[in-house]
Amino acid sequence: MTGSDLMRFAVNALAQHRRRTLLSLLGVVVGVVAVVSLTALGEGARRFVTDQFASLGSDVLMAMPGRNETTGGLPFAGGVPNDLTLEDARSIERQIPDIQRSVPISASTADVSRKQRSRQALVVGSTPGFRRVRDLQMLSGSFLPIVDLERGAPIVVLGQKIARELFEETEPVGQPVRVGGSRMRVIGVLAGRGVQMGLNLDDSVVVPVATGLRLANRASLTRLLLEVRPGADMEAVKEQVIDLLDDRHGEKDVTVITQEAVMSSLSSILQVLTLVVAGIAAISLTVAGIGIMNVMLVSVSERTSEVGLLKALGATRRQILLIFLLEAVLLSLAGGVVGLATGWLAVEVGTAIYPSVPATPPMWAVWAVIGVSFGTGTLFGVLPAWRAARLDPVAALQGGH
Amino acid sequence: MIVLEDVWRTYEMGEEVLHALREVSEPIPDGEHVAIMGPSGSGKSTLLNIVGCLDSPTRGRYQLDGREVASLDSDELAEVRLHRIGFIFQSFHLVPRLTALENVALPMVFAGIPPAERRKRAEATLERVGLMPWAGHRPGELSGGQKQRVAIARATIMEPGLLLADEPTGNLDTQSGSQVLNLLDRLNGEGKTLLVVTHDPNVARRADRVLVLRDGEIVRRVEGSQVSDLATLFGET
Repeated sequence: MTGSDLMRFAVNALAQHRRRTLLSLLGVVVGVVAVVSLTALGEGARRFVTDQFASLGSDVLMAMPGRNETTGGLPFAGGVPNDLTLEDARSIERQIPDIQRSVPISASTADVSRKQRSRQALVVGSTPGFRRVRDLQMLSGSFLPIVDLERGAPIVVLGQKIARELFEETEPVGQPVRVGGSRMRVIGVLAGRGVQMGLNLDDSVVVPVATGLRLANRASLTRLLLEVRPGADMEAVKEQVIDLLDDRHGEKDVTVITQEAVMSSLSSILQVLTLVVAGIAAISLTVAGIGIMNVMLVSVSERTSEVGLLKALGATRRQILLIFLLEAVLLSLAGGVVGLATGWLAVEVGTAIYPSVPATPPMWAVWAVIGVSFGTGTLFGVLPAWRAARLDPVAALQGGH
Repeated sequence: MIVLEDVWRTYEMGEEVLHALREVSEPIPDGEHVAIMGPSGSGKSTLLNIVGCLDSPTRGRYQLDGREVASLDSDELAEVRLHRIGFIFQSFHLVPRLTALENVALPMVFAGIPPAERRKRAEATLERVGLMPWAGHRPGELSGGQKQRVAIARATIMEPGLLLADEPTGNLDTQSGSQVLNLLDRLNGEGKTLLVVTHDPNVARRADRVLVLRDGEIVRRVEGSQVSDLATLFGET
């Protein structure tokens, strides 16, 4: 019995019971669509978050006040238990040769106003290095000039959205605004960049770090971004930074993280999420598999006399097993293919509606779906097919009547 | 050549032991036409199933063409059924979703014969039973007599030496019944051994020899000229 004979026989038998075939197909399709769209969503969320953090740059260390033993600390979310000062920033840059640039950051919120318009905004105090580290582009004007760290000049760079809301069509550069009650001159406008690391620079203003600290009424920096010389060992540099700050503060009260550590912990959390979601979806595939088994068992008992006949005509057990197994596998594979197509369509429609979430079914999920649907067909088809192959021909021939 | 020696077939149904066949010993030479008669439950079909390698004796020996059937495994039995034996059933047993031609070709599918040759042989065989015009019809569109002739074409497609028919005319009217019987006679005339299980003395009368079973035992053998007097001998069956 050749493959094409088997195929024709199986397709023929499935076509005979169109409704039953379609219903069991539907079960598989629903399961597969669930797997595809849910893993796509999980993967989309993972990419969305990791993309955000990727913008930090792989050669940047981030130091923040407060001790945190775990690597999962979220930046810009912690409190400020101990001071991380401008002096710390300066000495790191001076004393650790592998640190190319030390960028202090202070963050606070303040009202930014011009004439009658007022907006609350995130005020980021930093240095010219901030632009380099974060790869910022200017829409107009210039970024912060190189000045002494302690000099709090009354100048401000506006985020694109703030600039548009306060100035509309007018050119903001050179114009005065009030930031937290202080009068400042706008020296530049940032080009739009969207949300990065939970920080929307479009909604922020950037001022010299000393100005930022004064506005926040604090001595401690919120963050310290440390650009490491290319080729240097990140972990070793991280240890040096921790040791230096330990010396300066007399205790280990600063957390230093690498982008890699943040990314990997976030990414693994989200991957677990994707797996959990895929697991739930896989349960529905299993249910579909049981549906296939049910259909095949009914099919075998309905065709008992046919099995008896095939045996009388000289079919071997193996041939009968293959006939029924192929039917089950065809059912589940067809369900898998239709499900993949439907799931892919659902994802496409979803991303068209929510373009900000880059939902794509991961390749492993696609292969898993094909494998699992083939597997369920085989697994749940074996029992009915085996039962058919083992039927006693005499009883089977009589069974039909 | 069929040799049955002291064949028993026993079913255990709880406490009760049912002897479907007892002490059956019978040689059947090649080319013989044998009718098996007897009341319902006398073991006719059981005997046919054992000869057809669908069932096996509880005790005793069965040799087909010199081979001990009990020693064959399931694949070898399938092989014997495929090449040596053709079955014809009372209820035809055609696969309803396949056409007449496909039904006839089915054993060749199991034998792994290539499609082109299958088609040629199935058409030739259908032609011989006079059903070529119905080749593309499904069993549901055929009359009873036509269905049985398709079944006979299927039983003979692999050129088996032994044809086993279980009440071949049981579901047919007299006219299509005699067409079917003439066809079987013709095949027997071509040298095929023919075993026919029947209630009908008019069917049995065509045989060379008649075996009469009662409660699993052969109680009577009718041979030669006596066979034609069957209607009077077994008027009561």
